[in-house]
Amino acid sequence: MVCYMTQESEWEPKLLGFLCKWCSYAGADLAGTSRKKYPANIRVIRVPCSGRVDPLFILKALRLGFDGVLVSGCHPGDCHYQTGNYYARRRMAITKKFLEYMGIETQRIQASWVSASEAGKFVEVVTEVTKEVKEIGPNRLFTDERRRNGTKTTE
Amino acid sequence: MKDGGMEQKLRSEAKALLEQGKVDYIIGFEAGSLKFTTTPLITSDKDDIDRLVINPFIVNNLSVYLSELKGRAGIVVKGCDSRSIVSLLQDNKVARENVVILGVPCSGIIDLGKVEKLVGKDRDEIDDITQDRDRVVITVDDNRREFPIREVLFDNCLGCELPTPQEYDILLGELTSAASDEDKIASQKKINSLKNIPPEQRWEFWRSEFDRCLRCYACRNVCPACFCQRCFVEETEPLWLLPVPRWQDNLVFQVIRNMHVAGRCTDCGECERACPVNIPLRSLTREMYDMVDELFHYKAGMDKEASSFLAAYEATDVEDFIR
Amino acid sequence: MKKVTDSKKISKKNIAKLLDEWRQEFTVFVPWRDEAVAKWARWDGKDTSFLDWYRNTVVPPKAIFFPPMEEMFSFQKDREGYHLELPASDEPKQLIFGIRPCDAKALAVLNMTFSDAYEDPYYLAKRNGGVLVGLGCTNPYDSCFCTSLDSSPTDSANVDLMLTDIGDDFLVEAITDKGKALMAKTSLAEAVTRADEARAKDVKETTYAKVTKKIDTEGIKEKLLSGFDNKDLWEKIAAKCITCGICTFLCPTCYCFDINDELVKNQGERFRSWDSCAFPLYTKMPMENPRVEKWRRLRQKVCHKYVFYPMNFDVIACTGCGRCIRLCPVNWDITQTLDNLSAEAQVKMEK
Repeated sequence: MVCYMTQESEWEPKLLGFLCKWCSYAGADLAGTSRKKYPANIRVIRVPCSGRVDPLFILKALRLGFDGVLVSGCHPGDCHYQTGNYYARRRMAITKKFLEYMGIETQRIQASWVSASEAGKFVEVVTEVTKEVKEIGPNRLFTDERRRNGTKTTE
Repeated sequence: MKDGGMEQKLRSEAKALLEQGKVDYIIGFEAGSLKFTTTPLITSDKDDIDRLVINPFIVNNLSVYLSELKGRAGIVVKGCDSRSIVSLLQDNKVARENVVILGVPCSGIIDLGKVEKLVGKDRDEIDDITQDRDRVVITVDDNRREFPIREVLFDNCLGCELPTPQEYDILLGELTSAASDEDKIASQKKINSLKNIPPEQRWEFWRSEFDRCLRCYACRNVCPACFCQRCFVEETEPLWLLPVPRWQDNLVFQVIRNMHVAGRCTDCGECERACPVNIPLRSLTREMYDMVDELFHYKAGMDKEASSFLAAYEATDVEDFIR
Repeated sequence: MKKVTDSKKISKKNIAKLLDEWRQEFTVFVPWRDEAVAKWARWDGKDTSFLDWYRNTVVPPKAIFFPPMEEMFSFQKDREGYHLELPASDEPKQLIFGIRPCDAKALAVLNMTFSDAYEDPYYLAKRNGGVLVGLGCTNPYDSCFCTSLDSSPTDSANVDLMLTDIGDDFLVEAITDKGKALMAKTSLAEAVTRADEARAKDVKETTYAKVTKKIDTEGIKEKLLSGFDNKDLWEKIAAKCITCGICTFLCPTCYCFDINDELVKNQGERFRSWDSCAFPLYTKMPMENPRVEKWRRLRQKVCHKYVFYPMNFDVIACTGCGRCIRLCPVNWDITQTLDNLSAEAQVKMEK
């Protein structure tokens, strides 16, 4: 699926990022204060820890129409809450694989470890993710061309 | 599995448990109001105990009742159900001392849907269904037909990994053997066929299945692993899903339900059986079960000393997908 | 009372042609199977094989007039306020072919509810445009108990046309003017012989006798009310219920619904969707929930159908279709409950 042309601009993916407050969010912040350029496609939600992210958030984001979701936390061993990112690691593994089984493109769900000092890595991650999502095209998973006035018939 | 011996033993043990005050109530099976059906019997009255039965139709996973009942229960479980109890023990939802597990060595439960398809008649039009070890005899209009038992057992019974409870207090019969590897593969035909079609088609498949979903929540309510007082679908702040049965929301509901029970779901198959519109839910639960096994070498409900899957981690957990 | 000789008959071989004729004027709904789930769907124009397997559907025909999900209106919000856009309010011409007497009676119950103090425009618009062609049963389930509820498997009271299966043909009786008009238009109807009439009478009697499940509704209101506060009994009755929505959603007379708005930026929709009194949050209010315990919800469900609805509308809001019994994952059986409660009440009265 290739991106389509509107009148003035190409389609740009909308990405949602769940960044943990202590590491990844700080890293993103550092990228900003260092005036590093990265694609503006990502919208950030700060969470206290990557372990806070329920697969429900990821699926709700896709349901709402986001083209890709990134969950980023502290490196294993460095979690501010000791073990939160370990739970996240387990959860993200099954989320990614299970949604792939359902038929959702695997590039739409991404994860990374970005520490508070890794401004450069954050820029790299966002750039890569944006590129990958742009390649697979807009999220049409939940659109419904068959809708008839929102009424569910018996068929 | 119809065994007068097991039934008698069950009744005498259950009666003794109540009389000796070791449990407050017994949870078991009694004859249902429809042919070839059983129904849960939850009672603290020892006069009800003679109604307890064991036969190839005791399909329900009774451990679902443990989360809501107070006090001590004597519960009748097959191998698969006992694994749900182990899951509940891991979650600290049930205390081991509050349960007396009456284990039934199971040789498979008969799927009436399969029987109906085989003979082309509905359940109430069939005169008799009798299991005779590895064969089943189905009588319609005085016409006896025999089939191998495997043709009428539930799919997940075909691939059963633990027919006899590992965790029990009283075992009501002899141990039975688990399924062979070929049987396990046969029980997963549908999932494997799904994996062989391209992703867009898979998504389209699930979209059309969930179009039928009415959001009755039978799948959730029948599941022993779903014991949240307030399910995420009932949350209004934030509102994750409207209670409106649009396929998008139905799909999200079921996917997240599977995520939330990952590693605690033992693939007992109750969700699929309960669904009134025949959505193949086991194609989701089984896949999750296998995924957890493959990626983390963990089988739900086997080791009561182990931590609940999502509440644990290992240093060696896979992370090759993380940048 | 109409004369039996007003009846006509139509050969089963001509049913496809008949449906096709009707299809020119109506959207025709027939029983249809989707992944082994029998429900109602638009006729595809050729397949009448449902005549071979149809006993009754899982999803009742109420879903045509009162769908599981329905958009009430859509709205836009701007500086001036909200602008509503209502869906079309025409009366779609729909013909339901093969509705069973229990389901037709249930629609009559729904009519009363939806045209009582408030006339529900969504339901009534669809219902008024609807024509019901009833099909008498020949093979009731062991879970059917319509005969205990002032009805029968061949009852023609609530349909426009009534078909009775007499072998190679259907006997057709026009019940209402709508039905008469339909029959007047078709050339497929043949004259009925004495033998046909006798056969129809025989089918009706035989099928009536096939309904084996029975309940005693004599004084059921008083009996249920007398045991109303018996918490221990109701707890025992409710013990195995898992409070899902299967019995209420698939019940042809249940009509509860929830209303929800969805707003995305400045536009949105208001939906109504099926709700169930069995759900724990059904009666939840900001301060309290009077039916937290499951036995209270089950008691309410049973008493709504057999006590409160009759008190208001003079009819028991249950038509004995048996879906709740057939499809309950734990085989909770309302007829057993009613028998138990009657027996308890009897014991109490005798004391």
